[in-house]
Amino acid sequence: MNNIHPLDPRKSQSGEIDAILRNLMGIQGVSAAAIVDSDGFVTHIQRDSEINTDAIGASVQVVFGAAARAAQHVGHHVTNMVICENAEGFILSTPVEAGFMLALVTQRDALLGRVRFELKETIPVLKKLFSNYLNH
Amino acid sequence: MHWFQSQLAALNRLADQYARAQRPSASNIVNVSENMRLKRAEFIDAVQALVNQVGKIKGISSCAAYHDGLILARSADVSAIDAFGATVQESARAAQQGAALLGLGDVEQIVIVGTKNKLAMLNVGPLVLCISCRKEINLAAALQRNIAPP
Repeated sequence: MNNIHPLDPRKSQSGEIDAILRNLMGIQGVSAAAIVDSDGFVTHIQRDSEINTDAIGASVQVVFGAAARAAQHVGHHVTNMVICENAEGFILSTPVEAGFMLALVTQRDALLGRVRFELKETIPVLKKLFSNYLNH
Repeated sequence: MHWFQSQLAALNRLADQYARAQRPSASNIVNVSENMRLKRAEFIDAVQALVNQVGKIKGISSCAAYHDGLILARSADVSAIDAFGATVQESARAAQQGAALLGLGDVEQIVIVGTKNKLAMLNVGPLVLCISCRKEINLAAALQRNIAPP
């Protein structure tokens, strides 16, 4: 447990967001974990190789936006997660708070259920961290 | 209690601890988040360890764990991962409906026996553990054998 009580809560919340991303990177096959803002800019990222952060940020927002519109067209209402299955892996994106998104890039050998489970369990905490972070 | 039962009981304890960590709390969100991550990692690591150990038992063809029909952990030799996942989902739905009709309570395990192979599905917290073997194998007896830790 974290027994240190920092003077700046934003700093500790940002540190915990980084810790969550590092934890997601520990899952087999995950090669990048990023928080993307509503404009497609990457605000936090953990990655195991050089990756074009601008491209990830912009494409995640575009793909999620398109999927969310498609869901509305067929009466599915709110979109909770978008999974892109590609030849060499998956990209998973899920909304956090105030337009921020959590995006994960994986290799083909990632276990989809493991990554999705971790993402689904992580989101409620990330939402709380972000609402605290944005309100301070 | 034999080896596999004690392993399942330990997994269920870890699943309960994780579920307790998820309950709303007045504590600092940073500490809550860290505690949840640690408890989740403990549970998932234990699931992967059990899947690996069961997969190595003589007579067991494969072992895997699923969440919502998607693969979460698997032993080295699992093939037809998606077919397993689809079977888990379909079987769980049918079993839950049957259990509700008959007042059986929550479904704990489902076993499908074919002419060649059989498949056991066991609920552990939010996951389903799948174990497959040849039809002739006595699954309960095979899982009683205590094997060395990895």
